[in-house]
Amino acid sequence: MIELALLLQEGSTGDPTGLGIFRFFAAFFLIMTFYISFLGFTYWISKDE
Amino acid sequence: MPIGNLDVPIIGKNVVIATLVQTHILFAAFIIGAVLIAATSEYLGMVTKQPNYERFARNLARFVVLLFASGAALAITFVLALVTLFPVFFSILQNIFFWVFLVEAFMFLGQIIIVYAWYNVWDKLAYRKSLHVVFGFIAGFFGLMAMTMIDAVASFMLTPAEVESQAELVARSFLNQTMVPLNMHRFIGNFSYAGFLIAGWGAWRYLRTSREDEREYYDWMGHFGLIWGFGFLIMQPVIGYGYLKGIRESAPESFNTIMLGDKAWVFNLLVFWIAVLSIASTAYFVHKLRFAVRPMETLRKLAVGGLGFTALFTILNIIPADADLIPQIGLSFLGGEETKIPLGSMYPWKYIGLIGLMLVGFFVIALYLRATASGFHWGRASRWSQYALMSCAFFVVLTMVTMGYTRETARRVDNNPGYLINDCVTLSQEITPESCPTKPLSEAASE
Repeated sequence: MIELALLLQEGSTGDPTGLGIFRFFAAFFLIMTFYISFLGFTYWISKDE
Repeated sequence: MPIGNLDVPIIGKNVVIATLVQTHILFAAFIIGAVLIAATSEYLGMVTKQPNYERFARNLARFVVLLFASGAALAITFVLALVTLFPVFFSILQNIFFWVFLVEAFMFLGQIIIVYAWYNVWDKLAYRKSLHVVFGFIAGFFGLMAMTMIDAVASFMLTPAEVESQAELVARSFLNQTMVPLNMHRFIGNFSYAGFLIAGWGAWRYLRTSREDEREYYDWMGHFGLIWGFGFLIMQPVIGYGYLKGIRESAPESFNTIMLGDKAWVFNLLVFWIAVLSIASTAYFVHKLRFAVRPMETLRKLAVGGLGFTALFTILNIIPADADLIPQIGLSFLGGEETKIPLGSMYPWKYIGLIGLMLVGFFVIALYLRATASGFHWGRASRWSQYALMSCAFFVVLTMVTMGYTRETARRVDNNPGYLINDCVTLSQEITPESCPTKPLSEAASE
């Protein structure tokens, strides 16, 4: 996977590492997970009316 | 005792901060926007005597009270993570912004107290409604002040103030070059973001319920949320332009990175999300005009024209400047950066696109508000119009995280080095006195 990511960025000027690309998507995944979970939980505790 | 340079395995410490802050902002922005929308709705309910406003305001206030726990927990976890993972950087911020942080803490406290009081005395103050509405607005005011304080810090990180002496450090750092435009951008953004989420939620509930009175209420909620969402969205291009102008003048390398350089794709992504928001909102308005109590066929035809122009201007905004789309993952074609796309240039096409989008937006929402004045037949909206609202809620979240990423990544430029405080403190928490415009900070490093 990292080889693929490195291959894909050949010739790029930004030059992030494979780990950097992984971390970008890891952060996005974590943000969405926390956000949806907390919103869902808040809805769940509030829908008792 | 030396300060440890802690790291987090696998994901790294930058991801920890990004995750906590971005999630916190998604809640905090919603809470500030929602409190002010709910207070306005309560006021409208008091004036017009229409029960939807009151019901909506109360339910939203209840949701905000419950959601406050998540937003606050993330904020405090973020501060803990910042102190642990970036102790030197945090210490520098504390030295410059002690008073700002102190004021923010009290604004936050004030917001909690008043929001809880506002919700809890809803029945008790039922016969003193004006006073109760004021509670809601004061809660919103405290939230805005807390946001203003942290905006001073966030804007300083990108455009540190030019400060010559210790005496002017606090005031100049607070009112740094991009503080006011950032604060305006976020002030307007809170309403738009909360409005779109409310619209999406209304649409979801509308599709799920089978009771006629509930369908009418949630249909109305989708409409009400979208007026806030789209109404404030169309102000953003001008304010966002002001903010970018500030960045261009004070941090030109950062501006070039996010607008013309390696990270220009984040801006293309952003205008793509805005294109979806604009087209979906305008399409919803066109659809809704069919259900006006007083038939308004001319208005509807004009709105259809507006939809066409919206699509045209959004396409103009999306076209990239060159064929080097996302260099970081090798997404470039036809010679990459060398191949310029004529319609993708900032001047004049992007300006035409953004100004056109705003003008058409104002035109369409004016038509819609004109129809709103005489009312709609609620509960008859089609399924796809509700999907349009739900897609707005989804894409506004993407807009928020993309904008957050854009602002923070602007300080990295070429990562040689990336900065925590632009030109002053690197990502490895080292002060760079030679490039830092904030002289007291440079002097502290050399002592």
